[in-house]
Order: sequence, then structure tokens, then C-alpha cells
Amino acid sequence: MKSTALHKLLVETGELYRFAVKFFREGFRPRYEFAELLRQCFYIGNKTLPLVGVTGFIMGLVITIQSHPSLEAFGAQSWLPAVVSVSLVREIVPVITALICAGKIGSGIGAELGSMKVTEQIDAMEVSGTNPFKYLVVTRVFAAMLMLPLLIIVCDTISLYGSFLGTNMKQIITFHLFVSQVFDKLTFGDIVPSIIKSFFFGFAIGIIGCFKGFNTTNGTEGVGRAANSAVVACTFVVFIIDLMAAQIADILHIT
Amino acid sequence: MSENITNTGQPVIQIKDLQKSFGDNYVLRNFNLDLNDVENLVVLGKSGSGKSVLIKCIIGLMLPDAGSIQVFGDEVTDLSHDDLDVMRVKVGFLFQSNALYDSMTVRENLEFPLRRHWIKTEKGSVNDLVMEALTNVGLAETVDMMPAELSGGMRKRIALARTLILKPKIILYDEPTTGLDPITGKEICHLMLDIQKKYNTASIIISHDINCVKITSNRIVMLIDGVCYATGTYEELSKSTDIKIKQFFD
Repeated sequence: MKSTALHKLLVETGELYRFAVKFFREGFRPRYEFAELLRQCFYIGNKTLPLVGVTGFIMGLVITIQSHPSLEAFGAQSWLPAVVSVSLVREIVPVITALICAGKIGSGIGAELGSMKVTEQIDAMEVSGTNPFKYLVVTRVFAAMLMLPLLIIVCDTISLYGSFLGTNMKQIITFHLFVSQVFDKLTFGDIVPSIIKSFFFGFAIGIIGCFKGFNTTNGTEGVGRAANSAVVACTFVVFIIDLMAAQIADILHIT
Repeated sequence: MSENITNTGQPVIQIKDLQKSFGDNYVLRNFNLDLNDVENLVVLGKSGSGKSVLIKCIIGLMLPDAGSIQVFGDEVTDLSHDDLDVMRVKVGFLFQSNALYDSMTVRENLEFPLRRHWIKTEKGSVNDLVMEALTNVGLAETVDMMPAELSGGMRKRIALARTLILKPKIILYDEPTTGLDPITGKEICHLMLDIQKKYNTASIIISHDINCVKITSNRIVMLIDGVCYATGTYEELSKSTDIKIKQFFD
């Protein structure tokens, strides 16, 4: 059969599906690798936090500064904290954080597991009485699923502080009043869907990174390709999940 | 799993009619082999002839298409995952690329198989086992170093120490001298002989390095075109006039 790009994509999607099914089959059976899970949580959470924090601060600041003239034109400057906070919490922070994590975590996992695959470390693990899928894949995917929501909550907070500083560049507003205006408009219907979709972002980033790494071939050249394709696939899937989440939230009237 | 692993002079590994293919590429065609206790058996063949596939089938990393592999009397292809783990305590594997875990220190690399195989040891004795294995390969001082800080020969020795830490009865060496200079390669070969004497192991050594073959082999099996083409000692095979055998020894 002629191997077209579409054919390859469909085959890879099928293999990714089987890989994900294996994750659910292996992930909830003992033996549980808690120590490795904690190590991965530390790696994914702690090492990504500074990048996510700085990006969140800049996003909050910039979006506030850029939104100010538009609202000022309608005499609605006082709406600035509410409007910006809803945009940040509902959409901008979760998606940007997921994209950063797709780049940092997705490529990191892809390269690490790819390198382990080509240097036979995964085989060595199996010979050493370890299920490499449980030890390497299950722990990383769960860690990404746990850490993405936390990173997004932290990033939400930092971006709102950036927004507060941005608001104060054009007008004087106390922190107390800013927070009051933000939470006047921000509801659980804004926060909960963004947290829920972040679990799916984490799952997608973890499983795709692991899938690409675990299926690395062609030596060191393949490692680079695995890392690169992990980022591309993770980025694409983050947008797909975001689109689906927006549609589901709309259907369920969570707006 | 049978526990019949004493030094009996009987075959500890028996392979019968082993077949393995990758698509249309048939690498092993009815391959037969016996490994006797406390014997160094070298499997000699060209690159891509299926030597590494053979030992990966023995350790259960690959499934053969057909045939039988018995290790200490147990059929490897019939073993459950847990039984495979028990078998792997007795059968060590030295990988061609060493396969040291980059993110772990030498100590952690050596402790990993001990802890994963749930061998009940006190903290003190884990340390003793690590130091004993490192001392046996002459690298006790590297215990807290990272693999990236070591030379190729040192990494090979550490990988060997990691294989030895479970005190296996059989060691499978996958091209142990690949990537090493001739002097270091020779040192590794002599180390393998020392270990055989010290640990009373039987070994299958996959190689196409004829110097390594000469030093380490008690017996050689020529793997050509997927079958056991010839078997004999180094002296016997090196005098062969068969063109397919002769090319390895010229």
C-alpha cells in the first residue's frame, strides 16, 4: 500500500490511541511508582514555574495596557479589571501555559525517553525487573496532569497581579478595589472549565511526549525528531482540546 | 521457575529451531545452540546477522516467531512477567551501549536492579554489594560520579558491575568491546575472564572482534545466514578452509 502523508498520520493516530489505552490499563494497576511520580511532579512543576510565572506576569501587564485605550474610548475604564481578568482566566492563561508546557515538557519528555530508547536504557530497565511503561510513561503523564492545573492557577494569580500593575499605570486603583472588581465578574463558570481543560492539556502533553519518545528510531537523529514532533503534535492538540472545551462549555451553558 | 542452577556441567541454555524475522528479513532460521555451565561461548557473525536478536530473545526482550529457548530448564516464551523477572536475576545482560541511566549516579545505577528486583537487603548491605561489584571491576572510586563523567572503558566496567551486582549465573554480553580502543578492549576481555572465574558464570558473548573472541572463548558458534553454520574452538575454526569461516579469521 502506498504510504501517503495522510496514511502515516492515521496510522500514528491509531498507535497513539493504543498507547493511551495502555496508559489507562497500566496506570491504575499496582505496582505504583510513587517516588518517581513525585520526582516527575517536582521536575515538571518546579522547573516550569519560573517560565510560566514570568510569561503570566507579562501577559497580564500587556493585555491590560493594550485594552485600556479601547475601553477608554467608550468611557469604560472602570471595567478594565473585570474584562481583562475574564479573558486571562478563561482563555489566555490556560492556553499560553499549555503551549509553554508543550514546548518545555513535551519536548523534554520526548527527548529524554527517545535518548533512553536509542541507548537501550529502556531495555536495561526491563531487564532490571521494572516495567518501563509504568516507570517512565505512567508517572510522567500523571505528573503532567497534576501539575498543569497547578501551574495554571499560579499563572492566573501572577497574571492578575501584572494586570493590577498595568491598570495602575494609567489610573490609580487600590489592590483591594482591583480584587473586588475582578471577583465581581469572575465566577466559578469561568474558573472551573479552565481548570478542567487543563487536566486534558496535561494528559495530551504527557502522553504525546512519551509516545514520541518511546517510539524513537534511527539513533540520535531520531531523538531530535522525536522532541520536535512532540512539540508540534502537543501544540496542535492543545488547540483542538481548547476548541472542544469552548464548544462543550457553550453547549452546557457554562459561560 | 526451577531452581536447578548448580554447577552440573549440563546445558544451562538450550535453544532449538529458533526462528525470528522482521518483515521479509529472516535473521534466525532454525537456529540451535547449547550453553554449558561455566562456559564462555562466543557467537560470531557479521553485523546484522541476528546475534543481538538472539540474546534479546533469550532474556525475553524479544519474542521469537518459533522455536524453543530453555534457560535452566524453563521455557522462556511460556514464562509470565513475574517469572521472567525471576529468571532475569539469574541471567545478566551487558548492553552494547552500556545503557547506564544518565540521570543517576554510579551508585544509583548499581542500586537500581537490586531495589527493583525487591532483593531484601539492609541499607548497609546494599552499600556493601555496590562497593563489592565496583571493586571487582576496579572502579570503587567512581561510586558518586555521573556516567557522563566517565570514559568509554569505565562506563563499560560500570555496566558490567551493574550486571554483576545480582550475582547472575549466566551473563549475556552484547558486543562488549564495541567502541573501545584495542588496549581497553583487551582489558575488558580479561576482566570478563576474571569475572567468570570469580562468579562461576556461564557466558554468551556476541562479538565480531576477533581479538576478543580469541581471549574469551571456550567455544565458538558461527552464526551465518541465520543458522549455526559451524561450531568449535578458536584453534579449530581459525584453521578452517571454508571461505565463509575463514573471512572472520584473516
